[in-house]
Amino acid sequence: MFGRHRFLIGFVVASCFAAAGTASAYHTTFVAQNCHTNPAQQVSYITRDGSIAVALKARYEGYQWGGGCWNDNNVDDSPNDPTGDPNTGGEGGDCSGFTFKIWRESETKSDAGFYQWNKLRKVHGPYTADWFRQGVGAPNITSAKSALIKMDAFASTGHIGMIYATNADGTDQIIEAKGEAYGTNIWTRTYRGSSSYGGVRRTGWSS
Amino acid sequence: MDRALISRRTLAGVAGLLAGVATGAAVAVVAGAAVQHRAATGAVEPQIEATHLPPLLTMPGEQVELRYDVYCLNGEDDPDGGPACDAGGTVFVRAGGSGDFREVPLIVDAAASEGRYTARVPEKIAGSPAGFSYYAVLRSATSGAFLTLPAGGAAAPQRSLLLERSVDVRLGAHRFSATRRADSRVAEAAWGNGPNEVGLEQGRNLTPIGGSTFDVDRDGTVYVLDEANRRLLHWSSGARTPTSVPLEISGTLADMAVGEDGTIYVLETTTGEGRGPFLRVFHKDGSPAGASQVAERASQVRIGPNGPVVLQHPSGQWMTAAIGGRLLTPSAQRSSGRAGRPLPGGAEVVLLRRGNEIRVALTGPNGMRRAWRVTSETPLAEVQLAEPLGSRLLLVTRVFTDAQDEFLVLLLDQKGVVRQFALDSADWAETAPLSRFRLVGSSLFQLGSTPAGVFVDRFDVEVK
Repeated sequence: MFGRHRFLIGFVVASCFAAAGTASAYHTTFVAQNCHTNPAQQVSYITRDGSIAVALKARYEGYQWGGGCWNDNNVDDSPNDPTGDPNTGGEGGDCSGFTFKIWRESETKSDAGFYQWNKLRKVHGPYTADWFRQGVGAPNITSAKSALIKMDAFASTGHIGMIYATNADGTDQIIEAKGEAYGTNIWTRTYRGSSSYGGVRRTGWSS
Repeated sequence: MDRALISRRTLAGVAGLLAGVATGAAVAVVAGAAVQHRAATGAVEPQIEATHLPPLLTMPGEQVELRYDVYCLNGEDDPDGGPACDAGGTVFVRAGGSGDFREVPLIVDAAASEGRYTARVPEKIAGSPAGFSYYAVLRSATSGAFLTLPAGGAAAPQRSLLLERSVDVRLGAHRFSATRRADSRVAEAAWGNGPNEVGLEQGRNLTPIGGSTFDVDRDGTVYVLDEANRRLLHWSSGARTPTSVPLEISGTLADMAVGEDGTIYVLETTTGEGRGPFLRVFHKDGSPAGASQVAERASQVRIGPNGPVVLQHPSGQWMTAAIGGRLLTPSAQRSSGRAGRPLPGGAEVVLLRRGNEIRVALTGPNGMRRAWRVTSETPLAEVQLAEPLGSRLLLVTRVFTDAQDEFLVLLLDQKGVVRQFALDSADWAETAPLSRFRLVGSSLFQLGSTPAGVFVDRFDVEVK
């Protein structure tokens, strides 16, 4: 009996430490092991189709509050990070960081040019979802929601997602970094009609 | 107690402890390795993606163009600024729902911001009284990858119907802030994790998501999916407090339908298994009855004539998810695709919202039974509900400006609007996209929320 109790105590303690070690390595080192700070490549023009192709590479990847770096293995490599901590070093952008990279914007708010950010470049950009909603920054303008098309966005004070496609029932398919439990993907949403959301457009698309 | 006994006990204890440590560590490492293996394998991503808004309901004389957007996912490098795909394809189209398909090649409309790949449906086919059916095969010239849309191809083509005799409904400009009060509040719960509360995902300081969907049965029992607390709460008719049924779900935004026999169908659009969505089936008591991968991105589950049906994209079709309690494979789901939502009685509802116009039709085995064309000066967003009510149709859509939104309820008959009223959108917390209304008998139920909690209100809609 005594030995069995000791066995159980040892089992539980070792399991916790070993699992914590595995989880710790798994959850917090993604940025350190994979991401870089290379400069963006300035490009002369961007298209909505091209930006969707860039965005699709982030699909099935993770979500990281304050983050902006992901690979393309279709798995959240750092799931279940604490939701309120931007420093957990996990994979993925958050909603505004994801939009910033897909819209290929500059870190300088007065610059409306086009910048190709590598998916493994850790960058969030200067905007919150609420700032996008207000049209803050030279590339961004508010726009009537009824007129928005693919790669325009709906933004609230706390979230932003870009239009991927429109459905026959009037909903939209939105590509977005939704949250830690969701990662980055395409979902059907009703942001267009909700008064919590405003319309935002990145200016300067070639087509 | 002699020293030998102490020594043996000590040795046994130390040995037990060491064995426990070794076994525990081994189990944890193996589990960790399993997780990392899952992470490393991921899922096979298609090399080509496409979107398409199907012209499900057309007007006589209307020129019909089928438009597609195609995206190629090429290699490791991010695309440059230009169009990312060198693609092409063919649309296979025919008059009505049977016979041979005619091939129409897609051409590129370089000036279009949306729907760059286009095929015009020949007038004779587009104008057929029986409508037309079609599917497309899209190819990437770069990788050779191809995609069939809808996924069922010739076995389950998309169907477009001609609105030869639709009832025109012109709404004019919507007057906001004249909303109707509920006839009664049939369920109510505060936000929280207590026995009578409904949980908020991700806490209070992020985008609020909670009470993601609901349903109401013929007895008036109200079911609210408390996904954050991984349970179903149900209020029997007249009850003030709910009964809780634990469910093994992932705890994220999900849609739900409750069958006549009490079977619970939960459509999870995000799962912890890397990919989704998943349809999970539970007995009335919450015990698992099965689960199945859903073929495509999915947003709604409803009860059809033979079991649950799921709206899936990019096919843009309602697909049967189970027949007689037997869950269908994704392949079998794709072969069952329908343009309209199959209703328990065998009819279908077909919907198309484009701009400030909604086209809606009720169809049966012998074709179209009734159709309406609703136009509005105020922008229209999603159609939350379209359900037959006797010979009428109840339609709930959202009217919006950039600053306001309300739900508009329209009871339609063969002459036009029988009754209409507006409802507060009451959408403080996010739910599954089309989960805010249910019609049972002549009572309309609305799932709403405020910063305090979630509620279900009842509105009587029938005109005597």
